[in-house]
Amino acid sequence: MSRKLGAFRLEVVAALVRVSLLTAMQYRASFLAEFVVGLLSAFGVAVPLFLVYARVPVIAGWNLDGALLVTGFFLLYNAFVAGLVEPNLGAVVDGVRSGELDYLLVRPVDAQLVISMRKVAPAAVWELFAGLGVVGVALSRVGVPGPGPVFVAVVLFVAGLVATYGLWLLVICTSFWFVRVDNLRYLLGAITDAGRWPVSVYGRGLRLILTTVIPVALVSSYPAMALLERLDTDLAFGAVATALASLALSRWVLFRALRNYASASS
Amino acid sequence: MRALQADGWSRLTHVARAWPTIQQIAFSGMVAYRAEMIIWVLSATLPLVMLSLWNSAASGGPVGGYDQVDFARYFAVNLIVRQLTGSWIVWELNWNIRKGELSPRLLRPMHPLVFNLCETLAALPFRAGILFPLVGALAAWRPELLFMPSGEALAAFSLSLLLSFVLAWLIQAIFGMLAFWFDQSMGFWSAWFALWSLAAGYFVPLDLFPEGWVDFFRCLPFYATLGAPIDILLGRSAVGANLAFQAGWTLVAGGLATAMWRAGIRRYGAVGA
Repeated sequence: MSRKLGAFRLEVVAALVRVSLLTAMQYRASFLAEFVVGLLSAFGVAVPLFLVYARVPVIAGWNLDGALLVTGFFLLYNAFVAGLVEPNLGAVVDGVRSGELDYLLVRPVDAQLVISMRKVAPAAVWELFAGLGVVGVALSRVGVPGPGPVFVAVVLFVAGLVATYGLWLLVICTSFWFVRVDNLRYLLGAITDAGRWPVSVYGRGLRLILTTVIPVALVSSYPAMALLERLDTDLAFGAVATALASLALSRWVLFRALRNYASASS
Repeated sequence: MRALQADGWSRLTHVARAWPTIQQIAFSGMVAYRAEMIIWVLSATLPLVMLSLWNSAASGGPVGGYDQVDFARYFAVNLIVRQLTGSWIVWELNWNIRKGELSPRLLRPMHPLVFNLCETLAALPFRAGILFPLVGALAAWRPELLFMPSGEALAAFSLSLLLSFVLAWLIQAIFGMLAFWFDQSMGFWSAWFALWSLAAGYFVPLDLFPEGWVDFFRCLPFYATLGAPIDILLGRSAVGANLAFQAGWTLVAGGLATAMWRAGIRRYGAVGA
């Protein structure tokens, strides 16, 4: 793939996002239906919390406000996955099977860029709003912390997003070797569902997996802990390192996979 | 479509004769894509995520009449019922109607929905097989959850499970058939599923909802597809009322599905597919 200047890449990203937004907005009825779905699923995440905290004030060291904060970050993460990661990387799997991926690869842009930014699912915006709302409500109840904890929380959250993206890309890359893996992404979705609760709810083994192998705790529990000022900052550096490593590894595997890829026509 | 026009009895014997063969084909298909199947089944482990929350909550003592063992037992049965009543007909109908792949299926001498029912049943041994490690792991973690239900409870549970299976399949078929009218009906299904997760007892045992809500939710079709058999087996709700509601909703859904199929297939033909 040809190397171009960073500015050019940004322009490409902007154009890709604009086109996919316009495409998705054509189907107004379905966009509105997705609004209801987004609202309901945010409800689905929050209602069990309210039910359990109506009976028990503190669970595994978390009170309702803290748990709400975790839930809010989890919804934001879900919006990222549903809006950006899943539509694009999911399409790669279909593209490998149908051969449509070839059309993307012949474009004179970085392959990873075009694979990862081609589509946006605008319906995820509702979950984004829900997440922002829940984080806002929770913060107004516990009090807004100073700039330091907010900075750490944001860094952790972004690092978590990057790490998850890397993991998704790795999983998707397996489709270059084993064609039929489209539902591996459902499995990934099912496992990351565990991020909706504070990570201390789980047993020690599971907790370790959720922080390192499938780093969904990085996205939900740790930013919340940072905002509640219950986190040591060393972890933030570790998280950033994990994210960068995951990104580099997935990029390396992707390009290896692409070299291996015998396309549908050849 | 020939089978549809024939009289009731010969239609039935026809299905009965073809049944074992279809079962065999469907099962072979399942084995061929076994990795995919295992992933599908494993991705329905959300009850275990829910269990972790309630398990932590109950660590200091029972919550709303459930202690830690009760929660483990509830979600273990939840997992079993959900697996054994699952099907994929909403995805299949959606896809087949939108892509026109329903047409070749209509040419077969068996009703496409009956064919799908047959495939769904063929998946059951497979689903049951995958349940073993999951429930086994739960039982290893918390052996106290194992219990021997009485013969009556077991009989009532079996009947209730059967009704749940039929009702859940019919409801999925109804949402799948919406694709006759809307290009894409998965959005409706997602909305239904989100409501279902809460009101069926999938996320939380219904007992833990505030007073009035419990009785209200128990009358709804959501509960009839999941919570009803669980509560019957665990002896947590009235058997007769649950079964009556399940039977009632199954009749309603069956009528609706039949009417929708008739109207939809006419519309489908009208598109020229």
